Amino acid sequence: MTTRRFRPLLNARFAGVLLSAISMMLAGCATTPQLAGSTEASLPMRAMIEGVPFHAQREYQCGPASLAMMLNSQDVEVAVDTLIPQVFIPEREGSVQPEMLATTRRHGLIPFVLNDTFDALLTEIAAGHPVAVMQNLSLPAWPMWHYAVAIGYDREAEEMILHSGEEAERIESFRRFDATWARSDRWAFVALPPGQMPEAIGAYRALDAIASYEQVQGPQATLPAWETFAVHFPTTAMGHFALGNARHVLGDREGAIEAFREAVRHDGELAVAWLNLGLSLQNRGNHEEAEQALKRAAELPGQWQAQALDALKRH
Amino acid sequence: MNKLYRFLSPLLILALLLGSVSVAAAPVPTNELVSTQAALSAERPDADRERINEILSRADVQEQLIAQGVDLAEVEARVAALSNEEARQMAEQLEQLPAGASVVGALLFVFVVLLVTDILGLTNVFPFTR
Repeated sequence: MTTRRFRPLLNARFAGVLLSAISMMLAGCATTPQLAGSTEASLPMRAMIEGVPFHAQREYQCGPASLAMMLNSQDVEVAVDTLIPQVFIPEREGSVQPEMLATTRRHGLIPFVLNDTFDALLTEIAAGHPVAVMQNLSLPAWPMWHYAVAIGYDREAEEMILHSGEEAERIESFRRFDATWARSDRWAFVALPPGQMPEAIGAYRALDAIASYEQVQGPQATLPAWETFAVHFPTTAMGHFALGNARHVLGDREGAIEAFREAVRHDGELAVAWLNLGLSLQNRGNHEEAEQALKRAAELPGQWQAQALDALKRH
Repeated sequence: MNKLYRFLSPLLILALLLGSVSVAAAPVPTNELVSTQAALSAERPDADRERINEILSRADVQEQLIAQGVDLAEVEARVAALSNEEARQMAEQLEQLPAGASVVGALLFVFVVLLVTDILGLTNVFPFTR
């Protein structure tokens, strides 16, 4: 008896919860994305990257297909069939984000993950860089993850243009695109050869992207990226430091010293740059100058102190 | 299967350790400088433990990928291309990471909700709603 009396109440409660959940979802997602004022003014009304080859996905292989489009668009000739065993996880019937980036590295391009804004996405497209995006085409409770390549937009019509799934140049409204993209926390990356920089990227994101690439492909392949970084972000001391290291490993000792000097000029507190400057001066036989640099490194608190003191002792 | 992994994982760890040792032990005629990667990960204290954890997590990722059907011949190169941060992320939460292209359960309720959200322009599950 009691159970029967409570049932309608429970049902009403369930319906209420469901309704409020749905209305929360609606309130949360159903807006057309807004651009920041500065982007609004400078960004072209429409853009379309011509000549990005299209590969239709088979089965669940939107990851390898999207990756092939990204690589081919930068003249890296690789087939979807080559990429499948490199990035697809059979049991998951899909590809995961870290491996999308890792496989890009294996093929000689640097993957730069963009910040999670609509501004960054459109800015890259306007600059002629195709952008790989991750979407959840369904709702968070029953996800349907999907990779696609954004190749164009039209701000007047409020539409995105994507190579997606089995459809080339698919048109999606800004609103629907952003709703599905937001569910991956607006994950997106561009893939560029060393020496080219994304248009809308912060210094530290770029620095991380290039350092990760160097770990896989080595300093020779990465040197042009550090050179460009130093021009793009001249005041970021870590960039000059990284450039110095790449030059040093490749045997350009003078160039390395020059870059380390530039690093400490922009940030006198960067102990590790003082340390490397001191060590390379020591290698060259400039003992007086080396001592000055090593002393600076030894003064600054942090984990490089011990190594600097060590080098001073050897002096 | 489990037995195979118990046998495989020490081998994988050993292979990765040897791989990293040979890099560290390359002949250095002069003072060795601090690498960019070491400097960038320096904010985290205890760099040595970090390094060991990293090697272990890479071995762990290899094992997980093999268990998920990835080709043995490919798995090493795949793991080698991960950054330290990505390797850690994969080791800790491969199961939770979204993978491209999952399938939606075929429940009628789900179908109806997704049909409605598709029509409202919040999702993009059914091609005919566009």
